Amino acid sequence: MNQIDEDERGRILESSPIGTFALMAIVIGSMVIAWLFLYFGVFIPRGIIN
Amino acid sequence: MDDSAVRKLTLGHLWVAFIAFILACFMGEYQVLERSGFISALDSPTVYFASVSTHGVLMGFVLTTFFIMGFGYYVATTSLKTPIWNIKLAWYGFWISLAGTAMAAVPLLTGKASVLYTFYLPIQAHVAFYIGATLLVVGSWIWCVIMLVMFSQWKKSNPKKPVPLAMFATSANAMLWFWTSAGVALEVLFQAIPLALGWIDTVDPGLARTLFAWTLHPIVYFWLIPAYTAFYVFVPKQAGGYLFSDEVARAAFILLAVFGLPIGFHHLYMDPEQASGWKFLHGVGTFIVSLPTLVTGFTVIASLEIAGRLRGGKGLFGWIGTLPWTNPMVLSVILALLMLILGGFGGVVNASYAMNAMIHNTAWVPGHFHLIFAGTTVIMYFAIAYYIWPLLVKKPLFSDSMALIQLWTWFIGMSILTTPWHVLGLLGQPRRISSVVYNNLLTLAWKPYELAMIFGGLVLLGSACLFIYNLAKTQLNPAVAGFNDQIEYAEPFKPVQSLPEYLNDLKLWNYVIAVLMAISFGVPILQFFFMETFGSPAWGY
Repeated sequence: MNQIDEDERGRILESSPIGTFALMAIVIGSMVIAWLFLYFGVFIPRGIIN
Repeated sequence: MDDSAVRKLTLGHLWVAFIAFILACFMGEYQVLERSGFISALDSPTVYFASVSTHGVLMGFVLTTFFIMGFGYYVATTSLKTPIWNIKLAWYGFWISLAGTAMAAVPLLTGKASVLYTFYLPIQAHVAFYIGATLLVVGSWIWCVIMLVMFSQWKKSNPKKPVPLAMFATSANAMLWFWTSAGVALEVLFQAIPLALGWIDTVDPGLARTLFAWTLHPIVYFWLIPAYTAFYVFVPKQAGGYLFSDEVARAAFILLAVFGLPIGFHHLYMDPEQASGWKFLHGVGTFIVSLPTLVTGFTVIASLEIAGRLRGGKGLFGWIGTLPWTNPMVLSVILALLMLILGGFGGVVNASYAMNAMIHNTAWVPGHFHLIFAGTTVIMYFAIAYYIWPLLVKKPLFSDSMALIQLWTWFIGMSILTTPWHVLGLLGQPRRISSVVYNNLLTLAWKPYELAMIFGGLVLLGSACLFIYNLAKTQLNPAVAGFNDQIEYAEPFKPVQSLPEYLNDLKLWNYVIAVLMAISFGVPILQFFFMETFGSPAWGY
């Protein structure tokens, strides 16, 4: 584990978790795209239930 | 504080849980083999459905209930730093639950409770199954009482102080379980047992399914909350960092308990007994309950990001590589979150009112719940066990590397098992079938997926054996001098000095739940007493 000084430590603890925001955006975006694909690409083309 | 009594209590519960787990794993592998039809000597619908029912009961009711109780006792005593309130009563609860499990096992293993671990009347099991299941739940209610008494006693002795997060989560789960189990308890007491004993000739399947839907979805959160508890209270410390936010964690547990309950009708989208409006209302609620899971995902990942950056990680994603991937708890949470993303997507599809028709009662559904339960939830049960087992037996874990191999193989096996399951669902394979007897192009196309599932099941079985072996060796190994590890709960990076009462108590949320349950289940249940319905005679074993 890298040693970091107190200033750096304080900066990390006070900073926004931008990596987390980016990961969450990717995950939620991917889920929305996958849902749309399943709805318009698989479900709707199957037509009405007979 | 001498904690030997609670360690013994916890170990007793966890051993029952994990013995149930390993037995169920063998059954699971048999089931994918039988269903595939590759080995004709195994073909037997009778044995298959008895096995599926037993597998489901062992995994969904026995593993979970005993694990949650055992883990809860340990959390209560270590986080509150106080002995278990009335440990004798806790042991009574254990023995009542165990007696119930043994009682239910007889009809399950003799094919007299092949009801697919559900309570969907009029399909009926032997009365011993219902009484056994009731005893299991009664034992767990004793656990709930002990947790809530300890919670309230601690609050009384420590006015205005925040209840430790681990205990807050455990108590929220106890409250949730009381509410959750009430639905199926009503069904079993007033419908299933009287029907099985011949006291009544017919039963209203619509009412039974509505009562079971009350229990069926929030039970998932009862199973999941210990996993989320570990996310919040163990993972940040194990990763070398801090919990991102204690308050947000409490809000997530409250949201799970409150919104996990009034949403069960997404299991009944295709049922005729409830009107579309009620189903739509529950469908909206189902999407709302995804919120605490998103909040949990965010908070846990943010905690990991803090840890990764404190360990020298740079850039947008550079902190991921610096996390201690060789720590079983950290590895588990990463793998659990990956499975939660995929399983969560499946859940969103299930909850989508229209699209549900596409996958309803297909192989997609067991694929989904295996990913969420056997994937995300159980892998965190492993992580918790690897963490607390050395503390319980006062010996170091037999093999850390074996634990890491076990966790990876569980993840890989679960991915191999559940991906084809989802695909088979989209291809139209029904769930709850013991074999595919038709030889047409559609069903022949299912064969490669069945083969992959057999392989995935084998990987999982091997992984499960490694898990049990590691725990048993840890306990049976000779003591190591100087081993004195203590449980470490994660600290929030901004310590919590005081909290508003709504984030530190559960009374208010009980009233909120009562109102929401009255809104979402009041008319749907009462309607059965005010309109003409038709009873059905039992059928089953």
